[in-house]
Order: sequence, then structure tokens, then C-alpha cells
Amino acid sequence: MSFKDDFCTDINHVYLNTLFELKKHWKKNRIILVSLLAIALPLLFYAIPPLLGSDYSDTANGFASSNLAFITLMIIISAAMFTGDSISSEFENRTGLMLFPTPQRQNSIFVGKYIASLLATWLAVMLYYLVTLIAIGQIYGFDQVSMEFGQSFFLALLYSASAVSLIYFFSSVMKRSITSTLIGFFALMMILPIVSLVLTLGDVDPWFIITHSADLITDVLGASTTSFGSASHGGPMSGLADFSPDFYVGIEVMTAYAIGFFVAGLGIANRKKMEG
Amino acid sequence: MNKEIAIRIENLSKEYVKGVKVLDNISFDIMKGDIVGYLGPNGSGKTTTIKILTNLLTPTSGKAFINGIDATKNPKKALCSVGALIEVPGIYDYLTPNDLLAYFGKIRGMDKKKIGEIISEVLTKVKLQDWQYKKIGSFSTGMQRRLAIANSILHEPEILILDEPVIGLDPKGIKDIRDMIKQFQKDGITTLLSSHLMHEVSATCDKVIFLDGSKILDYATVDEIKSRMVAKSITIRFIDTVTPELLAQINAMEQVSNIDRKNGDVIIGFDGRDETSHNILAQLMKQGNKIASFAPEEANLEDFYVSVMSDEKGVSS
Repeated sequence: MSFKDDFCTDINHVYLNTLFELKKHWKKNRIILVSLLAIALPLLFYAIPPLLGSDYSDTANGFASSNLAFITLMIIISAAMFTGDSISSEFENRTGLMLFPTPQRQNSIFVGKYIASLLATWLAVMLYYLVTLIAIGQIYGFDQVSMEFGQSFFLALLYSASAVSLIYFFSSVMKRSITSTLIGFFALMMILPIVSLVLTLGDVDPWFIITHSADLITDVLGASTTSFGSASHGGPMSGLADFSPDFYVGIEVMTAYAIGFFVAGLGIANRKKMEG
Repeated sequence: MNKEIAIRIENLSKEYVKGVKVLDNISFDIMKGDIVGYLGPNGSGKTTTIKILTNLLTPTSGKAFINGIDATKNPKKALCSVGALIEVPGIYDYLTPNDLLAYFGKIRGMDKKKIGEIISEVLTKVKLQDWQYKKIGSFSTGMQRRLAIANSILHEPEILILDEPVIGLDPKGIKDIRDMIKQFQKDGITTLLSSHLMHEVSATCDKVIFLDGSKILDYATVDEIKSRMVAKSITIRFIDTVTPELLAQINAMEQVSNIDRKNGDVIIGFDGRDETSHNILAQLMKQGNKIASFAPEEANLEDFYVSVMSDEKGVSS
């Protein structure tokens, strides 16, 4: 087999494994569940103010900012649900005994799984932003959709990639899917925000903490709302130093997490063997 | 490397824990078309060998070749011609057999247009044709096992590696699998069948590798092993009632080492030589006994298995 043929079959295997993993998410109703959540959350922000007799924000960006307050939560839930068991389940459930003795590189299997988790999480993000976009169009008119909204969308996709990579890494390290899912979820929901807060209390800029960078998703919209799970400025902590994430540094940090943890997870997964 | 060799294991060693060898420098060849039993007690290293062959484990040292390709270095190419069923694999319970086999068929590069047809054929072979579109989660253990076998033969492999294939199956299921393995031989499929059950191996294989204490103890045809073994008991059925006097007469013969009763028959122990057997029969006839049958015990692989295997788990330091 020539190098070109070999490469082409590898690409085909990655594609087949991506579809196979997506089928798992579909058959286990995960895609439906997360999609419903991704539609319902922004819809609440659209539907509730009129019901309570309150007004929407004055600007489209202000509305988008409050609407996206739960986007990081949505991303964390999606990433944990789609990625937590991606590698560990093959070992824990012993399905690897059927999957691995096949004429394909383990890389093709694990890359396919990563892509599937990423696509499924991106689908949730896209639905969330789509509903928000339609709401903005209904309330303010589509001409009010700003460039910042697009930047926020791009940052949300990037944060999704880094969250998926981090949980993918845990999935390759841990033996049990529930452990990797929970550790990944709590790392992004609690542990990293707490570390970020502690650093801020110590007057240290937590620029290298991914959840700190995730604040950019709403910060770029120019409103004061911070993302769910964030430990940044505002509220009772208003006396703290203001370490707002820098746009480009944030992008670099998220990209580094996305690439670094993906490569590390892939390397560990490839070295894992079906012992016992 | 000889073209006729399907599987070659070369100086293979495996240590899970440093200094504790599960496989200790084992070597053997399996020729194309053979059905070879890989026999040993639990923990003797059978599954470890098979996992190394199928890229589920890396060896500490040594090599494992499939059709001349080093499976530890180039598993993608080596496993093209292999169908494998290892231990009791987990099943993707949210899928249907059709989903599962279609995926594995595509991974193995099968013609997409023909996969559906082949899936139906293979599922018919393992008697799951009515379950093609039902969720695997609702399958019994035996059905899951048959599906795993269907997956291993889906692409008509040249080499089949089966690790304890009848675990969890009922007697009918076991017979079906044995018949299937026999059919594989007719189809020219090389089969390596790992088992700790002697009767399973003797019923399906024409060669046997005995593995114990992390080493190969013997590798021979079933017929060769049987010819090495000597039957050392004779079952005698008398037409008349067996009296205590008759038993005393038999027991008094100097060629008879022990005497026993089973279902009305008399079972006597002797040195296993044909001449002795003839002398005992002659004496019984001379004493005027009416004998319905006089049957030296068939050579039994089970006895050989017990005689060559140690009682200890197969681990050496």
C-alpha cells in the first residue's frame, strides 16, 4: 500500500469513527437533550421579560450579553456529556476488545471520537447562538446584529474546543467514564474558577486559566454580565483587582488548551492497552 | 518467512509486573488451513498471546507475525486478514446488529453496496437473521456471543482468532459454534482457538498447543497425542450377574492392579499393554464367564491435559 493510499484509508477511518461516535450520541439521546437545552435556555431570556412585564436591554449587544450568560454552562454540559466517556468507555465496557483488533490505527479511532465530541458540542453552541440571533432579529432587527456578536460566537466555539480537549484528556487518563465526566465537569465549573478567584485575591492575573479566558465570550459584547461559572469581577467581590481577559491572550490560551490537551489525551489513549 | 505460515510467534515474552513473566520466551508457528487449539489453565498466558497478536497489548520482547507481517509493528496491515473474538467483549448495546456490522464492514474496507447483503448472510449463519434491526441491548449473552462471532467472520478472514468462543453459550449454542469452526476448516480458514476446556479443543481442532507456567509444554496433532497415551483400564460387561466370587477371582489375577464397579460393569486397572489385556480376557473366558463386552478405555486427551499441566497458575519468575 502506498503512502497516499494508506493516508486516504486513515482519513476514511477517521470519518467512519466520527460518524460511529455521533451515532452513539444520537442513539443515547444526548444530541436531542443538549439541543433542547441549547434552544430552551436562550428562549427563556426572550420569553420571560415580557411575561414579567420588564423591558429588554436597550441595545442588541446588551440583550445578547445577558442571553449568553449561560453559554459557558451549556458548553461545559455538552463537552462533559459528549466527551466524558469517549475513550474511557472503550476500556471500561470492554468494547475495545471488539473495536481495537481491526485494521485501523488507534489514532483514527481516537481522532474520530474527538471530532465527534467537538461537532456535537459545536452543534449545541450554534443552536444557542441561532436562537439568540433570531431573538435579536425579532426585538431589535437583524441590522442590529453586531460584529461583536460574531466574535462572541467565534470565542464560544474556541472555548468549546478547549473544554472538549480538557475532558478528552481526562477520559484518556481515567478508567471510569463517570469519573472522567465528573472531573471534567467540575474542573470547568468549579475548580478552575476557584483557582482563578484565589489568584485574583492574591492579586495575580489568572490569564492562563481557561475559564477566565471564557469571560471574553460575553465581555466582547461590551456589557458587564459575566459568564456562568466565572470568578471574575462584580458583585460582592467588587473590591478585587480587575483582571479582565485580554482578547488575544484569551484566544491564545484557549487555543493552547485545545491543542495541548487534545495531543496529550491522544498520546495517552494510544498508549493505553487492554490489560486485565 | 515461509508463505505457508499463517501465524508465527517468535520468542515472545510478556511481563505485566517487572520480573513476573506471563509469557516466557514462547515460539510457535501455525500453518495455513490448520485449526489449532491453544490450551492451558486460566492464567497460563493464552489470552495475553492473543492480545499481543491482535494489538491489544505490547510484548515485553519478541515478535508476533500474521501472514509475515509483524502485528506489533504494523497492526493495521497485519489485521486486515484477521477476524478476532477476544474474551467476552462489551457490546454497543444502543446499536442494532446491522449498525454494528455495517461499521466494522466499512472499517475493513468492504464494498459498501454489498455490506447489507453480507450482513444478512452472516447473521443467518449465526442464527440471528430475525434480530438484524433489533437493539443489541435486548440480546441474551449467547446472542451477543454469536453476534461477536458474526463480526469476526464478516469479512471472510483468512485467519480466525477465537478466545474462549463458547463461554456463556448453552449446549446447543456450543454445538453450533463447533460446527461453524469445522466449516471454517473446510473453507480453508486458519483458526487459532484458545480454551481451557480440553473437550472443546479435542472436538474441533486437529492440533493442540499446551501452554502452562508461561511456557509451551507441547505442540502436536491430536492424533499424535492420543497415540502417545496408553489406556490403562478395561470395562467388562458380563451376561450373568456379577457375584462377589467373580470379583474375587478377577482381583486375584496378578495382572489386575485394581477393580471397580460402575453401572453393573466391572472396571479393572492394568498396565496398559495389549498382551496383558489379551491374557486377562483369555483367563476370564477359561473360567467360563460369559462376557458381553470387553473394552479397553479409549485414549483420553483429558488425562493427557491433566498429566502435563501443573496445578499452579502459569507464572514463573
